[in-house]
Amino acid sequence: MYPIIVFSVSGLLMLFLGLSVNKKSLLPYNLLFMLVGLASNFLDWNAPGLYFNGMLEISNPIILVQWVLIFAAILVSGISSRQFDDTHAYPAEYYAIMQFALVGALIMVSFQNLLMLFVGLEILSVGLYVLTGSDKRNLRGNEAAIKYFLMGSFATGIFLFGVAMFYGATGSFDISSGNSVANNLLEGKMFFWLGMVFIFIGLLFKISAAPFHFWTADVYQGAPTVFSAFMATIVKTAVIFALFRLAAYSFNLEYENWSKFLVIIIGLSMVIGNVTAVFQTNFKRVLAFSSISQAGFMLLSLIGLGAQSYGNLGFYSLSYALATISAFGVFLVISSNTIVEGRPSENINVFDGLFSRNPDLAIILLISMLSLAGIPLTSGFWSKFFVLNDAAAKGYFWILILGVLMSAVSLYYYFNPIRASFKKTDLGKIEISSLSKYTLYVCAALTILFGIAPNILRSLF
Amino acid sequence: MHFLEIIKNLSLVQWAFYFLSILTLYGALGTILSKNPIHSVIYLVVTFFSISGIYIMLNAQFLAAVNVIVYAGAIMVLFLFVLMFLNLKEESTEMKTSPMLIAAVSTGLLLGLILIATIRKAEITRVNYNDFDPNTGLIETLGMVLYKNYMLPFELVSVLFLVAMSGAILLGKREKGESHF
Amino acid sequence: MEFILLIKGLIILTIFALSLGIAAYETYFERVIAAYIQDRVGPDRAGPFGILQPLADAGKLFFKEDFIPTLADKGLFIIGPGIAMLTALMSSAVIPFGDTLLIKGQYIPVQGMDVNIGILWVFGIVSLGVYGILIGGWASNNKYSLYGAIRAASQNISYELAMGITLLSVIVVTGSLSIRTIVGLQHGIDWNIFYQPVGFLIFVTCSLAECNRTPFDLPESENELVAGYHTEYGSMKLGLYLFSEYVNMFISSAIIASLFLGAYNYPGMDFVHSFLTGKLGESFGHNLATVLGILVYILKIFFFIFVFMWVRWTLPRFKYDQLMNMAWKWMMPLSIVNLIIVAAAELSPYPLLFNYIGLAIFAFLYFGSRTVYNNKKSKL
Repeated sequence: MYPIIVFSVSGLLMLFLGLSVNKKSLLPYNLLFMLVGLASNFLDWNAPGLYFNGMLEISNPIILVQWVLIFAAILVSGISSRQFDDTHAYPAEYYAIMQFALVGALIMVSFQNLLMLFVGLEILSVGLYVLTGSDKRNLRGNEAAIKYFLMGSFATGIFLFGVAMFYGATGSFDISSGNSVANNLLEGKMFFWLGMVFIFIGLLFKISAAPFHFWTADVYQGAPTVFSAFMATIVKTAVIFALFRLAAYSFNLEYENWSKFLVIIIGLSMVIGNVTAVFQTNFKRVLAFSSISQAGFMLLSLIGLGAQSYGNLGFYSLSYALATISAFGVFLVISSNTIVEGRPSENINVFDGLFSRNPDLAIILLISMLSLAGIPLTSGFWSKFFVLNDAAAKGYFWILILGVLMSAVSLYYYFNPIRASFKKTDLGKIEISSLSKYTLYVCAALTILFGIAPNILRSLF
Repeated sequence: MHFLEIIKNLSLVQWAFYFLSILTLYGALGTILSKNPIHSVIYLVVTFFSISGIYIMLNAQFLAAVNVIVYAGAIMVLFLFVLMFLNLKEESTEMKTSPMLIAAVSTGLLLGLILIATIRKAEITRVNYNDFDPNTGLIETLGMVLYKNYMLPFELVSVLFLVAMSGAILLGKREKGESHF
Repeated sequence: MEFILLIKGLIILTIFALSLGIAAYETYFERVIAAYIQDRVGPDRAGPFGILQPLADAGKLFFKEDFIPTLADKGLFIIGPGIAMLTALMSSAVIPFGDTLLIKGQYIPVQGMDVNIGILWVFGIVSLGVYGILIGGWASNNKYSLYGAIRAASQNISYELAMGITLLSVIVVTGSLSIRTIVGLQHGIDWNIFYQPVGFLIFVTCSLAECNRTPFDLPESENELVAGYHTEYGSMKLGLYLFSEYVNMFISSAIIASLFLGAYNYPGMDFVHSFLTGKLGESFGHNLATVLGILVYILKIFFFIFVFMWVRWTLPRFKYDQLMNMAWKWMMPLSIVNLIIVAAAELSPYPLLFNYIGLAIFAFLYFGSRTVYNNKKSKL
């Protein structure tokens, strides 16, 4: 609850700091605010309960997820160092909007009332629409922003329609009121089901699960890379936990009905995400399609919905965030060193000879790619193992087989950049700012740490 | 003759309701069917206005007034404003018999079918007139609910507006230099 | 019940006729006042002192050719002036012209309708008023008309904000949106203008802008835009546009008088009421006191109408950038400051006193910081 207040205020402060402080010192301020937000969450530790007339729920697992979100935001800020130095960037606004978006994300993992979910979703989405189009001279970015905005608002409309149906069926916005219609006959449940479907569709759009994924690749490609990383990690985590809360508290008694619907979406996400990613040459598009397939894996924990599922999802989110941010971070450094036609190149061949140009980056890229692919000894392996295990416990074995199969497919495109990085090249060394270097070290180290000892994190939930 | 009988027996409230509903639908249809975007906007204003009328029939006067002020009075004026500057040509909005159109229409019809089926199937509980609080829609009640129960979302909406506003300013700033892909 | 409905209908009809009649005679007064200020004779041919001039004007407009440009959007071209007139007249429904009339033992308020969102109704209708201009200007298919319409729209939207916030500060004091309650709380000479003089000034200025009156009459500034949004209009359509402006002026004056000057309240009204009821009996005395109140209200309205005209024939027109700067950089912040001061004062034990203290503190801070800033700049 406290980080929400901290980031609401610090976002405002950030806007004012933009007036008085020079551009380069904004990032330290941003990190400071984020650390303050991270620390302020300790105040809620061991004080579970509902706050503000049943609007927010605070409990230790929720606080852990909020930490994951804030930590991911800190990492994203870390890799953004030196990215906003040119004259056309407005870092104060970017960081302010990032903090506001974080407010939305934090609300989305702790809401108890659907109105809160809507407000959180909108704060997060509106912030990201802006960040997507923040590089105004990039026409592709403009296109991405418009596309994201139109489709996102449409999805929000669908979600809101679902909320209205939910309210009509239960007479309350409280998520626990979903159980009140559970004992009704079929006739009394119709609107509840309709609401459920629309709410699911609206939210599945936001995590770019398969039939609702069409915006993803264009938006990830068009948005500035830092914000693509933000979108891939924080939005996905926030929305998947919102879905999890709904599935666990509102719709748990209807499990039989929505799980079939969801399994199809998971299967589609895995297949479409992984198979399409194979044909991409643009690294950001690869990561976009990989994020679609990862969304499919994340949704598996909704199918599981056991006692451990929340922790598994938290673990998955963190390990996915670490791997994705380090992938984006390495890519960001290299692509800004490889200018093609006046713009940073985004083709996979920017990784050519990375090992000889900067061995540290190559190792970090290797670790993150292995983690995304789910190779043992990285946290990605355990995260996939846990969610698949969860789903298998509910008897969905075919999705397990599909998951393993698709992970095998994903090896192909995750190994492309690794293969490229060990090519021979005569290009010079790559310099990297110390802040992003340490951020990437942290990501890689944690990925390995959680890969060796996953229970350090998982036992906390 | 049965139909005529029903029309004869309509009460004043029912007359008002049907009039407003037909007006709303007329405006909504006009919005999507008219070729000229300016006409669309004006039809939409008609829709908003008649929806306000329905709010008043539900005794939600404050909502009605705010709907008129915000939607009809401010947002649609800005829409008109922008459209008048753009001076869109009527030809530019054509989309005849493209697969997109067919897909859109069939999806819409499917959705409509699902909704109608649901409404037919569902048992709709009706409001009991006797224990209904007539003050529900008045501003005093609304204010209490808004500032007591829904205080947090109400305040957080200001964050949303702040994001939207600073974002709009960020995107609206004039940019020097070349555009590129 | 039937009887009350009849009386109510009569009252509504009277209010309607009154708004139209006063609006018609405003045109006459405008000419008289203009003539007085410019030191010339003014209308004096139609009837004694030219008193039949509005009738002559109306007659002339009616018999002119009703012209519609070929490339105009015919439907909207015709609807435009109608909307302008309709929205102008609709807002008079909620204005409380007087206290109650006591007829057959029943108190009937002298008001079209008393809804608990009264002031929002006015605000909503006023915000719709711009459609008349916008639609008419666009439908004319004329560059200058369009410019006029767009100017009107942006101007109305900009000034509506400051107006709305000032309105909020009135509502903070009274705690009700019903105009009758707002007026009732200004009993005697407990008028809102004493509580928030700044709010009053902002509101009057914004009303001038909302009515498209000088110095804010850019939508029809003749030396830039021919005649603005009604360039292509003639005959009674033009008449309706011009007429709606005068009706708007009347309504604005009535709103200002009721929000800030206590409408039908005047000092010593309790004494007059008890005196009349004592002398003339309960019913007749009460009614007479109410009629006196109505007359006082109309006097106040006329005063503001006079101010509107006075301003028109005294001040030059703003430039467009000045107009926008004034709305967004002066009116908006000032009205927010005013709202904060009023709200803070309302929480204090002596609202009247604390209001002025707050304004003084603000003035001190503003002018003080400006002086400091200027000194710093001149030193550099």
